[in-house]
Amino acid sequence: METKELPKEMKMDNPQGDDNKKIKKGKTPFQLAMGRFMKNKAAVISVVVLLLIIVAVIAAPLITSHDPTESNLRNIEKGPSSEHYLGTDSSGRDTFARMLYGGRVSLIVGFSAMIFTLVIGVILGSIAGYYGGRVDSIIMRFADMMLILPFLVLVLVVVSILPKVTIGIFVAVIALTSWPGLTRIVRGSYLSLREQEFVLGAKAIGARDFRIIFKHFIPNAIGPIVVNATLMMASYIIAESALSFIGFGIPQPTPTWGNMLSEAQSIRILQNNPEAWIPPGLAILVTVLCINFIGDGLRDAFDPKSSKRS
Amino acid sequence: MYQYIIRRILIFIPMLFFLTVIVFALLKAAPGDPYSRILDPEISAQDLEDLREAGGLNESIVVQYVNWVTAATKGDFGESFRYVGRDVSDLIMSRLPNTIYLSIFALAITLIVAIPIGIYSARNPYSPLDYFATGFGFFGLAVPNFFFGLVAIYLLSVKLGWFPAQGYMSSSSGDGFAAFIDRLHHLVLPGLTLGLASTASYMRYMRSEVLSVLGSDYIRTAKAKGMTERTVLYKHTLRNAMIPIITLFGFEIGALVSGAVITEGVFTFPGIGMLLIESIGTRDYPVIMAITLLLGVFILVGNLIADILYSIVDPRIRYD
Amino acid sequence: MKKNKWLLLLAFVLIISLLAACGGGDEEEAPEEDDETEEGTGDDGGDDGEETQPEGPVYGGTITGAMHTAPDGQFNPIFYETTYDSNILSFTHNSLLRQNDNLEYEPNIATEWEFSEDNRSVTFKLRDDVYWHDGEQFTADDVVFTYRSIAHPDYVGAGGQRSSYAAQLVGFEEYRAGETDEFPGVVAEDDFTVTFHYKEPNVTALMHSNFTPIPEHIFADVPVAEMPEHPASQQAGEVIGTGPFQLASMIEGQEYRLEKFEDYWQGEPYLDAIVWRIVNQDIMLSLLETGEIDFIGDPSGFQPADYAMVEDMDHITIIEQRDFGYQLLGFIHNYVPEEDLEEGVFVPENYIENPRISNPQVRQAIAHAIDREALIGDGPGDGLLHGRGELMNAPIAPQFWAYDDVNPKEYDYNVDLANELLDDAGYIDVNDDGFREDPDGNEWVLTMVYPSGNEIRERSAPIIVEDLEAVGIKVDLLSPFDMSAYTGALTETKEFDLYLLGWSLGTGDPDPSGLWSADAGFNFGRWYNPEAEELRIAAVTPPDAFDQAYRTEVYSDWQVMFQEDLPALILYAQNMLFAHSNQMQGINPSVASFNRDNHLWWLLPEDN
Repeated sequence: METKELPKEMKMDNPQGDDNKKIKKGKTPFQLAMGRFMKNKAAVISVVVLLLIIVAVIAAPLITSHDPTESNLRNIEKGPSSEHYLGTDSSGRDTFARMLYGGRVSLIVGFSAMIFTLVIGVILGSIAGYYGGRVDSIIMRFADMMLILPFLVLVLVVVSILPKVTIGIFVAVIALTSWPGLTRIVRGSYLSLREQEFVLGAKAIGARDFRIIFKHFIPNAIGPIVVNATLMMASYIIAESALSFIGFGIPQPTPTWGNMLSEAQSIRILQNNPEAWIPPGLAILVTVLCINFIGDGLRDAFDPKSSKRS
Repeated sequence: MYQYIIRRILIFIPMLFFLTVIVFALLKAAPGDPYSRILDPEISAQDLEDLREAGGLNESIVVQYVNWVTAATKGDFGESFRYVGRDVSDLIMSRLPNTIYLSIFALAITLIVAIPIGIYSARNPYSPLDYFATGFGFFGLAVPNFFFGLVAIYLLSVKLGWFPAQGYMSSSSGDGFAAFIDRLHHLVLPGLTLGLASTASYMRYMRSEVLSVLGSDYIRTAKAKGMTERTVLYKHTLRNAMIPIITLFGFEIGALVSGAVITEGVFTFPGIGMLLIESIGTRDYPVIMAITLLLGVFILVGNLIADILYSIVDPRIRYD
Repeated sequence: MKKNKWLLLLAFVLIISLLAACGGGDEEEAPEEDDETEEGTGDDGGDDGEETQPEGPVYGGTITGAMHTAPDGQFNPIFYETTYDSNILSFTHNSLLRQNDNLEYEPNIATEWEFSEDNRSVTFKLRDDVYWHDGEQFTADDVVFTYRSIAHPDYVGAGGQRSSYAAQLVGFEEYRAGETDEFPGVVAEDDFTVTFHYKEPNVTALMHSNFTPIPEHIFADVPVAEMPEHPASQQAGEVIGTGPFQLASMIEGQEYRLEKFEDYWQGEPYLDAIVWRIVNQDIMLSLLETGEIDFIGDPSGFQPADYAMVEDMDHITIIEQRDFGYQLLGFIHNYVPEEDLEEGVFVPENYIENPRISNPQVRQAIAHAIDREALIGDGPGDGLLHGRGELMNAPIAPQFWAYDDVNPKEYDYNVDLANELLDDAGYIDVNDDGFREDPDGNEWVLTMVYPSGNEIRERSAPIIVEDLEAVGIKVDLLSPFDMSAYTGALTETKEFDLYLLGWSLGTGDPDPSGLWSADAGFNFGRWYNPEAEELRIAAVTPPDAFDQAYRTEVYSDWQVMFQEDLPALILYAQNMLFAHSNQMQGINPSVASFNRDNHLWWLLPEDN
């Protein structure tokens, strides 16, 4: 965990914005941030754990020889054994292999949907929050429009029009419906920045909009953005399982942590087959925890408000 | 300000109009109609055809939409296809209160728990309660709520018998205060389930916002001027910290309803969320359209309120 | 025709009424997804006070049952739609006849019936001691009124879907078209005699005449178009039937309370009340275990995977019986040409053959390649059904006399034979990619589709694909469709080859026409085999078809042909699994419903 005492680094970082490419004592702001990040034990541990998970799911074929989609109806819902480390599911598929391969899908869904949302949300939020006025209202009304469009209706239509629900489609649907939230948050934090002295100052000396946004707004809004991005990635991993639960998820036999967990929804499995739900449940929990800790660490590291000027 | 509000409300009309156009088009783009799921040879093809004819399903999409809009502007949302003989508005009104109670309860839990704990955590970072709260916050965000709901039912209802697992009231609830308590009793598990994620995220927001505001120059100035931390906290910090919270709140209404779909399903809680998902499955257009419109209005109004609150909380934000 | 005239009321004979040649040739089948009420509701020949169990039934008590989906709240028999609503109606309403365990018709609130010489008319004598819940007497006029309502010009427009019950009656078209006020199809001869006049000699007249009556004195002044929204169709306390229980109160979407009707014609029901609770399927069993609910019955029972768990509950009795339906893997034999689709007609002669599986050997190979027994499994912890299912080798419910379990070909799991059949047919892997190419050496991929809504069926889809890939057939499995989209897609798309679907069959008659006639909408594979068509039609064509032995023979031939030609491979029939607490007594399910004889259900006193 980070120290209670917030670091005093005022002299290195000048909030007036000349802390850019100039090398001061050999450290860029990014390196400084990294330095602070490395002091955050929880975040660092999370990075390690997450990396381990990522390596494991990438190296799945090396770790297990089982095919995650191969069923064996003569060997269903069996407990752990030396052959099947985590037992088998209700179709006799190896749970351990499904954990590994399912992790790929879940992480890809969470990560790509997050990046996708981030790009749309930050760009539109920046434009709206920075320029305000007409541009702002157009973008925000558009965002409101998306916000009031019922997600389920959209999912239904996509699912029923397309013969195959692939991961890419899944990601696109999630991202296209969730950017308005981030856009609002980004814009919301810009609104108060817009009137602040250093921004007015930068405008007065003729700084370009693009530069002001990148040098002043985004760094100042980085806290909410990063926290949100991590929350989003985490919530997408969870959303995937919720969609599985209501029957709109990524279909069988493709494993995902979410559909593994939602398959374990009867009290019987809850009670009798902990090996069926604890692994995917734990995997989701740990992954989401790690992502959130990392998000926290990043916020503390980047956010000039919460750490730089104490 | 008033002008601004009026202008925003006026914008609602075209927005809702577009919303209905888009949703209607989407629904019509999806294959199937209210009768296509009927697999019953006892029902003759001719009857089904007549049903479609009578329900106006054989008209062109444009005509169907115009018919719907014309009636809707007069407050007539038609009859449900699935619930034979039920007016859509009647159907929705029978479900809406349940969802509203559920959402209010969840929101109340969220606010009552999240804001004080978030503030406390920020003021006493790395204290035991902060660790606990942070831990809970992370946990709450990391558990899919359908699963939390199932486990809660299993432990708190089936094993311990503390709370009812299903439904929104009992048949022998009595009336007056007893009925109210009975409703609350039924709301506990679904409310917790629905409010879990938002409680966790509000808590985190609150903590992070208060922390960052506490660290800013003007707070340090205020402190330097000799104001007590308490005064500073309530006079300055909270106001600023509320901004993102209010943003969240604005679209929380939408999130609550989509969360309600799942929560209501787990707890067989007959609300709007369940009605929506059933209606989607059965292509009950009039019901879907009415719910869409209703949620649209809710969210728009919620956002408007959020924006107004913004300018109240933070006077630097101006609308013109 | 074999006339079956019941001379006795069977008033005290319980079920054993296999009265010889009866029951014969007057039933018609209606395979379907949701409908169960007409039959099974009810009561057996009125044996009040005759129960001779060791400790006789006692009056009093309330039991709670669970279903996982709420009724739509339409409690009018002529307008209801779902099995969940019918779960209420089977307590509140009666139909003229009932069916015994051999699916033969027996008296209920009609005591006897007689066919006319030309077999076009059937006359029912009604009981004179049947009363509606509000005390009015049930008479022949109620029956007439019911049929007039479902034949009424406004009926379909109001959302009614059951006009097929009246469609074969004399004067139906004219009356429905609004050309006349007269509907001569159903006539009340006197207060307790009603005659149905059919346009043609009707093999299935009993089934068609057996629609649940609604009370004329309640609905007489209600225009048909407004009937569905009338309080008597929807509201607790207002729904009026002749059944042993009345809908006393409800919390919509959550709880439905049925209270006994003391003046029930078969005597006062034992139970004071039956409460239906709507409970999420996943936690239903927990509530059964804790005693919060007493039984799980229609429409879906409990899941086979939970069998062992329920078996372990000491206070619970399981009732397991054959399903009245089946799950199938369909083969798309033909497509409907575009022009016909636009017109909405199915003309078998115009069908376009689907070349990918038009070779019967290919279909047979597929049938041999699928391990159906593995899908069912041997017992708890094995297979998708945990052993709680049966193989079926013909698409007629085995409970019917018409089912032939000997002659139709049985496709055992035989990979070698499957490979051999495919090799013979010329489907050989020529490019060594592990999958067979078609006889011309072109890529051969079968597209398989399945609907969502049945978890076990959904799980079976990828397993079937694996079985097929094991014999070198490449399968493209699409994402599950929701039911509303599925039927349209199956009908219109020309790329599909294999489909999964399940049918619940009607108990009225074994006639498979609704599902498998060449021009039936639900014959999604567009199976068209002229010989089979001839047989199918012969089986319901008078006068021969009034002889059940004749029908049995014809259906046997038809089933053999079905299995040979394989419009579908029947995968399995999942057993119905009902559970009830040991305190509940007098349970006597029919072949298709748990709810039969619910007036005889009783509850052991707690201290027993």
